[in-house]
Amino acid sequence: MNLTEVFEVVRSDIGSSLRAFLPELALVATILVLLLVRLFQRQGTYVSRALALIGSIVALLLALEQYGAGLHREIFGGMLAVDGYTHFFRLFLLAFAVLMVWLTMLTNMPEPEDAADFFVLLLGATLGMILMSSSIHLLMLFMAVEMASLPSYGLAGFLKESRRAGEASLKYVVFGAGASGIMLYGMSLLAGRFGTAHLPTLAERIAQSVATEHGVVIEPILVAGVLLVLVGIAFKVSAVPFHFWCPDVFHGAAAEVAGFLSVASKGAALALLSRFVLTLAYPVLQAFGFAQVSLTQALALTLAVLAAVTATYGNLAAYAQTNLKRLLAYSTIAHAGYMLMPIAAAIGSSGRPNFATAVDVVLFYLVVYLFMNLGAFAVVALIRNAIGSEDLSHYGGLIHRNPLLTVAMAVFLLSLTGIPPLAGFVAKFRIFVVLYQTGFYWLLAVGLANTVFSLFYYVKVLRVMIIDEPVPETPAWQSNALAVAFHVLLIVANFALLIPGVWNGLQDITTGAVATLLLP
Amino acid sequence: MSDSIFVQYIWLVPAVSLLAAVITAIAGNRWLKQQAWLPCMLAAAFGAVWSALALVVVAQADEPVAFVPVLEWLTVSDLRVAYELLVDPLSALMLFMVTFVGSLIVAFASWYMAHEEGYARFFSEVALFLFSMTSLVLVANLLMLYVFWELVGLCSYLLIGFYYTRPCAAAAAKKAFVVNRIGDFGFALGIFLIWVTCGTLSYRQVLAVDQGLQQLTAAGPAVLTTVCLLLFCGAVGKSAQFPLHVWLPDAMEGPTPVSALIHAATMVTAGVYMVARFTPLFAQAAGVGTVVLVIGCVTAFIAAFTALTQTDFKRILAYSTISQLGYMFMALGIGTVAGAVAAIFHVFTHAFFKALLFLGSGSVMHATGGELNVWRMGGLRKYLPVTHWTFLCAALALAGFPLLSGFWSKDAILATVWQASGAATQLAGAVGLITAALTAFYIGRAYFLVFWGEPRDRAIEEQVEHYVRDEAHGPPEPLIMKAPLIVLAVGSVLVGAVIALAFGGLVPFLAGAYGVEPLAHATAEHDAHGHAWGMMLLSAVVALAGLGLAYVFYGQPSPWPDRLAEQLAPLYRISVNKFWLDELGLILVVRPMLAIAAACRVLDNVLVDGLVHAVAAVPAWFARLALRPMHNGLVPFYALAMLLGLAVILTLVLFQIQGG
Repeated sequence: MNLTEVFEVVRSDIGSSLRAFLPELALVATILVLLLVRLFQRQGTYVSRALALIGSIVALLLALEQYGAGLHREIFGGMLAVDGYTHFFRLFLLAFAVLMVWLTMLTNMPEPEDAADFFVLLLGATLGMILMSSSIHLLMLFMAVEMASLPSYGLAGFLKESRRAGEASLKYVVFGAGASGIMLYGMSLLAGRFGTAHLPTLAERIAQSVATEHGVVIEPILVAGVLLVLVGIAFKVSAVPFHFWCPDVFHGAAAEVAGFLSVASKGAALALLSRFVLTLAYPVLQAFGFAQVSLTQALALTLAVLAAVTATYGNLAAYAQTNLKRLLAYSTIAHAGYMLMPIAAAIGSSGRPNFATAVDVVLFYLVVYLFMNLGAFAVVALIRNAIGSEDLSHYGGLIHRNPLLTVAMAVFLLSLTGIPPLAGFVAKFRIFVVLYQTGFYWLLAVGLANTVFSLFYYVKVLRVMIIDEPVPETPAWQSNALAVAFHVLLIVANFALLIPGVWNGLQDITTGAVATLLLP
Repeated sequence: MSDSIFVQYIWLVPAVSLLAAVITAIAGNRWLKQQAWLPCMLAAAFGAVWSALALVVVAQADEPVAFVPVLEWLTVSDLRVAYELLVDPLSALMLFMVTFVGSLIVAFASWYMAHEEGYARFFSEVALFLFSMTSLVLVANLLMLYVFWELVGLCSYLLIGFYYTRPCAAAAAKKAFVVNRIGDFGFALGIFLIWVTCGTLSYRQVLAVDQGLQQLTAAGPAVLTTVCLLLFCGAVGKSAQFPLHVWLPDAMEGPTPVSALIHAATMVTAGVYMVARFTPLFAQAAGVGTVVLVIGCVTAFIAAFTALTQTDFKRILAYSTISQLGYMFMALGIGTVAGAVAAIFHVFTHAFFKALLFLGSGSVMHATGGELNVWRMGGLRKYLPVTHWTFLCAALALAGFPLLSGFWSKDAILATVWQASGAATQLAGAVGLITAALTAFYIGRAYFLVFWGEPRDRAIEEQVEHYVRDEAHGPPEPLIMKAPLIVLAVGSVLVGAVIALAFGGLVPFLAGAYGVEPLAHATAEHDAHGHAWGMMLLSAVVALAGLGLAYVFYGQPSPWPDRLAEQLAPLYRISVNKFWLDELGLILVVRPMLAIAAACRVLDNVLVDGLVHAVAAVPAWFARLALRPMHNGLVPFYALAMLLGLAVILTLVLFQIQGG
């Protein structure tokens, strides 16, 4: 298809495409208004925060409305797909954005003079992440990754007076640029070899090229292309050995930003990874009647090893940390490892049903992960505001000074460990079930061993907060009503799977999201 | 029937109790204060009215079984856990009994517990108990049954230990909890075995003749027998049967209304209810019926024999409860629908008179300032007339005085046992008759010692006189405590006769729960009546003899009790020392357990801790060797590592694919 044809396709469909793009447009409008406000009002956080809150809520409502309508189509001539999967991640990321704005309200995060910038970056990154989850075209995919990354670099270095923040931001930019370059190289290999950048078409052509009359033929260029793209995504997921940026960036950035990156950025990267891997692997597997071919096997094994190494490395390294943000950074690396496991299992197993449940549990895990990880970072931020430190040694006896935060932290950390009956347990349990059902026993063993390892450092934090002697010079403080509501919400969310119907309801939503992903 | 709102919304009964528990827990201490009993009272009364209406609906229905789906809890592959309720004659009757007796006891407790520390906590826990107990009888799924089985156990634990500052109350609560664990362990295993064999836990499938029952029978006779024995284990713990009955007498450390509600009328009958519910399984299981029969028989006799010489008022009643539960299991041991019906009939009548006996003892305790020794009381009938008369009604009903409620239900049990073929059942019938005589004697003894004669203790007499005269704490028998006693007394007197004479027994009603044609059963019931007249006469004679003897011994000062104790010293010591069962348990169970626990502790300290320390050393070692050199903060190194990683992965995958 030449350029004029493409233009014609896009033009003929522009109206309905834009309608399906409404939530994103709402975000864009909010960003524009924020920039305008920045011109006229240089000081004050309230207006920009209110605008950001309203904008993200409006976008969330629009996304909810579209989810209800159950739209399922490609838009802008095959650039983006609006399907159940996109709806799910839109809702996930927009809800998270709302929670983030709420959190900044509690922690007074942006300085008054930078407020508009902060929210522009936050919403811009969110927009990019939504596009990451919905793009089905290599070019769009690259743009989306950049759209998500550039604001993230800015956010990481947002603490202007902090040298460490500047360093973190710089490192993030350098490695991010490197990873983007590698990914772009992989994309050009794929597009050049197969003559299309439209993912579903690409996948079909790959399937055709693999199945020749001489049997299975796998070209090295195909392998190189896919793997290079995966490396770019693995960087975003912070899988070992592409994780080096993560602890330094989280350490340097504000806790709120670290929380944002740990949940949203990782969620979007996993969304992209699942969509990319499944879209490419599905026609190949289908062409061979779901028999395993060496390509998908190799892909599955690579991902599985990556997942195992990532989870183990993250958990072992977290143990030695004394800075809370750094500790949680390694913890997020470990959780990325857990979430990679079922994706490996999905393409490593045969048969469509496994395919669906395997990705379904990742989405399930992400939702739960949002509530426990955001909670942990929020507590770190609030404690930093009160005692001016993020060092574990200053956390001694916090239970006597702020019981609410300590109890909340205990819930979040135990949920992260996966202790029943908290939500983290159910999420992890479902991942392990998938590994068991698909026969990845060694990966299951790694996952279980890691859960045990992780208990050590999570509980170490709790020990310091609850059992250790209080640090004398820090006073007790009360949380305000907004902070109490925020934490109660997150704590309840961590227990919510106990409420009848919630488990099934969430499962229905994630299953529905994955079901549309697999339909070509 | 399922379109009736009383059946469709039957879940309101437990739900309202739960709501009351939450409201009282939140608002009780701060706002409700002395009104903290109201939410619980309203919930119980609502439950009584609603379940009475549901009972009427069930009784009039042609097809009296309805499954009411309420909530889906979760679905994990094959396992579907739902809060689904089963409304049938059996559950409707139990539900009515629990809520009706429960509401009377709550009303009594509002007076009895007044000015106690933790007034709101008490009613919150009682409401939680009512929620759990009503759910227990309604749920239609073994997993849910287990959940509520444990929840009523938890409430029992909390309420036995209500006066948690008293060491003996705390110890009793612990004992009840631990002893129940033993039974529940078997119960859980039984549920697992059903799940493994049938792949479902819903009553609908498990009890269906062509599904669960068939699968269990097909899996081999040993499986069904094991399942039933394991389920019975749970019943033995919960319903305080020999040898796990030791917790119930100690449970009397709880407040008296709790003893009446949980440890006499409702919770302890959960085991009977469960076995009755699974009678279709028990009937098919070879040999289990005999076990149930023997356990019931032994329990009934041992407990009655122990009650003969106890001096603690509430403990006499506790042993009496154990003994009466033994009767119910005797009937269940027959393994027929008729047996199950007789057992439930006795559960129903027993709830009235035993609750009343306990409430009476509570009234006496208030008057005497918490005294429990029957030998220090005496002559109380002139101080507490209402308590005296109602207690007499209940005592006569328990003793099996002709035409009172206990007479009918006990007779139904004895007739069923007698009628069944086999030497074991004949023997059981004989033991049942002897126990009936003992029952009449010990309750007569308690009654005469407490209410007749002259006060035996000067201090207690002064206390009672002061209590009756002192207007500061209100009249000794206000309406709120009199009314429940009188209602229960009327029930104790009439319920049995009404059911037996007006409705022709419970068989036609309850048969619907088992899917048995009422018509087909009418003949069997007719036979039962044919035999029953002789048995009725016999048990009436026995009851009167026991009561008469009690009057001779304790109705006036008499040298007989002491002389007999001397003459029959060995028997007397066995009874006073409760067959040394507590001591036996100490030697056979507690001491070995403590030894095992000590061994485990050593093992834990050396092996497990060693292992944990070894595992914990890994991250530190890892940090020293790998982390510090690698995370040096240098950008070139990081970049190099990433590129190396990429190169390694690319090479490996390419080689693997080419090789494959």
